[in-house]
Amino acid sequence: MKDFNILISKYFITLSLTLFTITTFKIYGQENESLNQIFTSNIKNIKSNSSSISFAGSYRFLGFVRNQTEVFPNNSGKTLVLLSGDNFREPMLLLKLKGLTKDKISFGADFMLNSTYKGPENVNNQLTLELGLNLRSSFTTSFGKFNVSSGGVNWYRQSRLTVWGNRSFNRESIYHRRPQTRLTSTPHLRYENYYNDGLIDEGVRYGNRAFQGIFINGQNLPKGFSLKGVIGKTPFNRSILDSLSNNYTGCFRVSKKFKNNFNFSYNYLNSTNLIDTVNNEYRGYSINTLEFSKKWNLFSINLEAGLGNYYSPENNFNNGEALILNISSSKKAKYPIDIQAYRISSEFVNLTGNFLNTSVLEIFPNTGSNNRATTIRPQFNSPMVGLGIHTNNRQGISVNTQHSFGKLKINAGIGISSEIDTSISSISYRYNVNAQTLSRLYLFARDWGPYNVLNSTYRNIFENVSISDTNINGLANFKKYFANFEFQAKYSGNLGSKKFYIFFLSRFNSCSRSLHYFPKYNLDVLISQISNQIDFNLEVSNNASLILNFGMERIIGNHITDLGDNTDPSGSPINMILNRLNPTNSIVNFARNQRNRLIGMGLDYKIGKDAMIFFRHNLYSYHDPNFVLNNLKGSETMLELKILF
Amino acid sequence: MMKKYRSLLLLVLYIVLPNLYFSQKSDKIWIDGLGRSFFSSDAQINEEDTISASNISSGYNLIDLNTHINPFETIEIFGQVRIKNEFGSFFGSGTQIDIRQLRASGIIKNKVKFSVGDLFLKQNKFTLYNYDEELNFFENNYNSSYKEIVDYENFYFENRWRLQGIQTNFSYKFDRFIRTLEFDLFTTRPRGSSQINSGLNTSISDMLISGGSMVSKLNKSFTAELNYVLLKELPATGTVERAIRNPVYQMGINYNNKSENSIINHKLQAGFSERNWSYKSVDDSTSELNKGMFAEFSSSYFKIDSTFSLNLGYRYVDPNFRSSGAQTRRIEMNETNVGSIYSLYSNDYLVRPISVFDIVTDPNIYNQNISGTLMSFDPIFSNALPYGDATPNRQGIFLDGKYNSKNKILNINFKTSYFNEVIGQGTTQKRNFFTILQSSNINLKEIFNHTKEFDLSFSTMNQITSREGDSLERVNLNSQHFNLLIEKEILSKLFLQLSLKRFESAGNEYINKRNEYGEIFTFQSLNITRVDNLYCYGIKYKYRENVYINLQYNLWNSNFNNSNYPDLNFQRFLFIFSIKL
Repeated sequence: MKDFNILISKYFITLSLTLFTITTFKIYGQENESLNQIFTSNIKNIKSNSSSISFAGSYRFLGFVRNQTEVFPNNSGKTLVLLSGDNFREPMLLLKLKGLTKDKISFGADFMLNSTYKGPENVNNQLTLELGLNLRSSFTTSFGKFNVSSGGVNWYRQSRLTVWGNRSFNRESIYHRRPQTRLTSTPHLRYENYYNDGLIDEGVRYGNRAFQGIFINGQNLPKGFSLKGVIGKTPFNRSILDSLSNNYTGCFRVSKKFKNNFNFSYNYLNSTNLIDTVNNEYRGYSINTLEFSKKWNLFSINLEAGLGNYYSPENNFNNGEALILNISSSKKAKYPIDIQAYRISSEFVNLTGNFLNTSVLEIFPNTGSNNRATTIRPQFNSPMVGLGIHTNNRQGISVNTQHSFGKLKINAGIGISSEIDTSISSISYRYNVNAQTLSRLYLFARDWGPYNVLNSTYRNIFENVSISDTNINGLANFKKYFANFEFQAKYSGNLGSKKFYIFFLSRFNSCSRSLHYFPKYNLDVLISQISNQIDFNLEVSNNASLILNFGMERIIGNHITDLGDNTDPSGSPINMILNRLNPTNSIVNFARNQRNRLIGMGLDYKIGKDAMIFFRHNLYSYHDPNFVLNNLKGSETMLELKILF
Repeated sequence: MMKKYRSLLLLVLYIVLPNLYFSQKSDKIWIDGLGRSFFSSDAQINEEDTISASNISSGYNLIDLNTHINPFETIEIFGQVRIKNEFGSFFGSGTQIDIRQLRASGIIKNKVKFSVGDLFLKQNKFTLYNYDEELNFFENNYNSSYKEIVDYENFYFENRWRLQGIQTNFSYKFDRFIRTLEFDLFTTRPRGSSQINSGLNTSISDMLISGGSMVSKLNKSFTAELNYVLLKELPATGTVERAIRNPVYQMGINYNNKSENSIINHKLQAGFSERNWSYKSVDDSTSELNKGMFAEFSSSYFKIDSTFSLNLGYRYVDPNFRSSGAQTRRIEMNETNVGSIYSLYSNDYLVRPISVFDIVTDPNIYNQNISGTLMSFDPIFSNALPYGDATPNRQGIFLDGKYNSKNKILNINFKTSYFNEVIGQGTTQKRNFFTILQSSNINLKEIFNHTKEFDLSFSTMNQITSREGDSLERVNLNSQHFNLLIEKEILSKLFLQLSLKRFESAGNEYINKRNEYGEIFTFQSLNITRVDNLYCYGIKYKYRENVYINLQYNLWNSNFNNSNYPDLNFQRFLFIFSIKL
């Protein structure tokens, strides 16, 4: 060490003296040799062309307070939560990097920075990516223009039976906000748009599926053809092995435009998951569909039909059929009508299409490895779904229509569907009221709650119900039939000089052992679900908008479904109003008798261009007198600051 | 020390960045870098192997953002941030954001250049030089997509070592006696102190490598150079008892005679080295002292129009010449260095030996650390000069040349050398090494008068090692390497590529086994008949050099002709999208 110190000292003394000499005096030295020509052990810096880089993004702070006055019995005693964010993985600071090289190749990354604001002892402010990295390029050849991109997550959409998601939602309560909910130029405009157009655009991720891989898109190909495709992975291709296995989803679409608004497409999708490296066993499915669309002045038709097969060590399905037909009248019609019919066989399995898989459970990856998180399992057990949402092993038809009576706009839809074959002895349903609230209690958990029937997904929750009438295979002893009715009314008026809107939404679903053309709320059917939500919006000023919400939901089950642990031998009434009027003849049950209620108030306030504050205060209750442990009550308060840049 | 540098630089970045943000239009901040998508799917097609996964896939997307900050014209702060996302990880999982490089550089008073941080240093072929890996010669583009990734990921750039420290250079210009006097000084830390065992609280020492150069253009024709490099461990920075010290000195004189059509160059250089270990517990004690020297003379002839060049020389490198900065290899050929894919194979879970495919494709088998002792090598790949020109225990002649036809149809490079050992290893008999290699490129576009690019390239290498003596002493190893590349532009910028790489080695040799001081303690007998093949075909869309989309299918195998080592048969599908930002 002593030697080294001496050496270093000598080195630095020499260096200092030399520097001093050459910068202070000019002994012997004349002008310096050009610095680029002299010997150097180091590289020579050459300035290259700079890429064009820009940043956009948003800052979103969500202050969240939840105060539970009634809790599930396994609650740890912690009833009050103060959070920055609501525990879902959402960026507080989202920095979207967009770059363009001189070769016109674009690249992008979305940086995400969060802070839990829990003090210096809990610093976890890592910079990470929200979705991933993307490289994109396009090149034009004599065959057409091609776009190639690689990376991901990229949002991809192809056709309803292959890759699709619902992006816009008509029949939803507008009271709730999601992190991706867009900012409008004024707070009031959001409600005005909903009144006029009836759609809530939830963002690109809701209409597409997340893919990683290589994407190609070809336009202006010869003879009116176009193509798009991807080979890569979806979250359902997560590998259970440490080293990634060849789990891929590949799909493409070739389209041709004919004259007279007639389009024809061929779609293909193949997905495989390696599950056993020694025996080389795979789970997978492949799909081939044809799609036709034709538009006339008064109406349009869209039909997609195809075959799909599924293979795994547990199940092996040969070609199963699927068909989705849409006939829509022109929106200019006095009574616009939309008819949708579909049939998707149980053999037609797909996790990225616009329908739920209900026939094979094993296809959902159960575990992830090497930081690859477990995929969230969506509804599987004979889902009771709303209009416009499909499942396999089911066929159905629905009709939607709308009409305006002055300032009163109404739209309604009715649908029936049935299973094609008997299935699992269970039903699942999502809550329409308190769904976000309950999902926040236990994020992405499966089979939780005091009765282990709740399942959380992204900002949503569903519940599984067992059925006792089963066959020798353990399946339900009957086919299930589903009926839906949805009604929405929107009214616009003025309170003095201030505009207001009232939105009423009623959804009524039931599942039964036989076909009913209209949903029923009684104990003849297995499960009945009825929900009513009212949103009232008042424009307080150009920069402020008040929103009030009231929602209530009832879900009842009959004796074939799970019975509760209520010790009261008289059960509990399924209709509170009738029970009050005539308690002695009131109909009671011992199965599900759930009551969800939400009262909310909020204020949207614009603090500047592309900057708004949203305040929400919710009083929620979730109660079932027959399942006595299902008893939640409390409040949520949220203050959201969102700034775009 | 380097942590302090990094912290200081980060601090500077954070302070300077906000102030400069609004000045981007004045070029105070500019950004370049690299983006890459890499997806591969490998499959083993060995029928005997029923345990290994039949296929695996891997991949990533990354962007290296190089931020150049010029607060004023003569200063640059450079930071390279890597954002990497593993293929198959969704919504933030598998994300990695790292600072890959950080450097400040500039010129003081237009006289003294300096750099602090991540440096890329090269001095002389015997003092500090990062020699190419085996099987790579003439900077060919047979597997250029892979080669770019290997070099980039390992910071291999112009045969420099990436080191972290401080460097400065400056020069004088004179009007009498000599023309210039140029100085270059650096001190770096290739290895910092780190914990060996947390329970015992032991740690290895810091290792520094420092050096200086003095180059003088004596007159129009003569240039003299003096180089010095010192590798040293600082025992007080760790708990390890011993510390290495390895100074190397080199001096040379270069004569350059330029005529109207040609340049004749003669270079004479020589130097010597010392290496020993000192011990903490015993003052002034050293052990394992090695002293060695080298000398080289070469003469070159270049035609100024670059159509022809020839270089002939003689080199002597002492058996005990040790130069860590020049003798460190890019690949350590031992059992612990294994390929990234299918590192274990067969039903017996054998460690898969490094193959030609690994050398060509796998950045993870490469080394970025300076080694104080000679690293192990595999004689079948590089027996004549495993440590480049600085390979110890070699003397011999070398000849290399280049021919470019004036009509740009033909380009030929060749190298040949004949070396033998200065002293025998384990015997008085000495090995002889004969190497000949050539690379040719034929421009078929010109021959067939095509409008689009059409090239045929092929190269061969033959290396013969022999040693006379009795049955134990006798060595006879013959390695051959053949490359072929056909590249045809089928649409504008879209190339069809077909390449073949075949490597054969047959005979016997002994692998040196060295102890912790780098001294040979035994020899492992090697009898080998091995053949490696790598076939690649694919398409490549080239926006321009280094900016491309490449889709490839690779088929590769290694045949060991050894019942203990089953043959390897694999295939790969590959996608690379590489852009220069």
